[in-house]
Amino acid sequence: MTAPPAHPAASPADPAAAPAFPAARLLDVSGLHYRYPGAPADALAGLDLQAAEGEFVAVVGANGSGKSTLARLLGGLQKPTAARRALACGHDLLTEEGRLVARRDVGVLFQNPENQLVAECVEEDVAFGLENLSWPAPEIRRRVDEMLSRFGLVSLRRREPHLLSGGQKQRTALAGVLAIPRRALVLDEPTAMLDPAGRREVLAAVDGLRAEGLAIVFITQEMDEVVGADRVIALERGTEVYAGPPQGLFDDVQLVRRLRLGLPASGELALALAARGRRLASLPLTLDDLLDELGGPR
Amino acid sequence: MKPRGDAERQLAGPERSSAGMGLACAGVSFSYAEGGERLPALRDVSFALEAGGSLALVGASGAGKTTLLQVIRGLDEADGGAVLLDGASSGDSRYEALRREVGLVFQIPELQLFAATAFDDAAFGPRQLAWPEGAVAAAVDAALEVVGLPPAAFGGRHPYSLSGGEQRRLALAGVLAMRPRLLLLDEPFVSLDPGTRRDLVAILQRLKGDGVTLVLATHDVDLAWALCDEVLLLAEGRVAAVGAWDFGAAGAPLLAANRLREPFLVELWRRLGRDPATAPRDFAAAAEALA
Repeated sequence: MTAPPAHPAASPADPAAAPAFPAARLLDVSGLHYRYPGAPADALAGLDLQAAEGEFVAVVGANGSGKSTLARLLGGLQKPTAARRALACGHDLLTEEGRLVARRDVGVLFQNPENQLVAECVEEDVAFGLENLSWPAPEIRRRVDEMLSRFGLVSLRRREPHLLSGGQKQRTALAGVLAIPRRALVLDEPTAMLDPAGRREVLAAVDGLRAEGLAIVFITQEMDEVVGADRVIALERGTEVYAGPPQGLFDDVQLVRRLRLGLPASGELALALAARGRRLASLPLTLDDLLDELGGPR
Repeated sequence: MKPRGDAERQLAGPERSSAGMGLACAGVSFSYAEGGERLPALRDVSFALEAGGSLALVGASGAGKTTLLQVIRGLDEADGGAVLLDGASSGDSRYEALRREVGLVFQIPELQLFAATAFDDAAFGPRQLAWPEGAVAAAVDAALEVVGLPPAAFGGRHPYSLSGGEQRRLALAGVLAMRPRLLLLDEPFVSLDPGTRRDLVAILQRLKGDGVTLVLATHDVDLAWALCDEVLLLAEGRVAAVGAWDFGAAGAPLLAANRLREPFLVELWRRLGRDPATAPRDFAAAAEALA
């Protein structure tokens, strides 16, 4: 096994996957289908999704709309039933070999960290993936230390995972996924179990990874987390019903309600105001925007 | 299943009063064993909540929220201090019966669904309490109805054929079927889509209106603010603040120091130069005040 790459995007395993232009499409699927064995309908029915280097694509949809299935397919953990094109960091997700290599380049963090914690203690868990890739021990130690400190886990490094709180478990799982240098990251509701500060920490970490050039697919039920995305994709029963800037989705309130989504709190308040006859010039998605619209102090 | 156990217990079950239960903790301490060490999780926790009250249990991840709920439910026994249900502690003859009227909805409770039908899953608790089958059926049907899973349409469904949001409702129905007078909820909104969250808030508002005592552990301060009249802030297992919400000079910094934030409507009120103590609990009331 070769030495670890110095930078996530610096040495792709497959030369064909090397960025050919500044914003290489790291995730590129078209007409993606998946049907669970024995299921009467597709969990994903002809989905298109592209995420370039440094791009943050949010994915929203009701419980059961296919978001988690999408995460597993993009991470090469499940074989698509069919697709016109299914590339992850240049690897073909339709072939077993492609999925195997894709799993190294694309990190996936799942909804429930319980399913991802395998080792006896926090630091061993963070090291687990690197050990599987046969990194040299000193490199593993250095990388694990870096991850523990990035996610505020230094004081918990010897703690057994079952004694961690939900939020601590999620941070441990994220540290483990990111210990392996990645080119793309798929996060399935990564902040669901975190306290507000933990949520900010994870979002800041994801922003940092985006700045480093990782393509980010961010599945969430938190509408506040969608606002800063480059693009948002809304799913309904496995089908894409919206793809575009966040503001465009939230402006279509009927669609938002039909999809069992919501607006960020500022938007919900603006709707309640409109129902009482006070219409704001534009739909605010942040508290600062709302205060501007209300003409109050900032 | 044939009912067994003493008649008094059968009667106590489905026929009980629906009014809420009073809850108090007096100097409750608890620690987990790790290797040879003890990891303190709760330290001298004291508070009182009146019957029919609603308490938000907030604090950073790891502050002890889940542990406190488990100690109140009696799944873990306190190392020190006492949990009082309607004034009765574990030495009291009334305590065991009262303890069965405390419902706990676990974090991600749908992971514990196991029966072949939604009805049987929700019936598990009442059957454990050896209620007569007729009473079980009535309680389960009512509970499924309350959570928006009408028994005619959903009772016969396999739990795994339900969507994630429906599974969460089913897990809640399993607890409600036991007609708890004190309902403890551990992060009930996690992983729910916003529409299902709105539905769950409405269900909990209704239970609150029926007089059920609510204790809601959550890091979602907006929903805690919408649902709960009182708040208990835990910090490393200790009570950092308890009682009415306070966003005065001490309140907001205390929340921030505990990895929390002010509820959205409170922050809005403060930044509009209004008194945060008068911030409304929901968007409709806020719009009414601002329109």
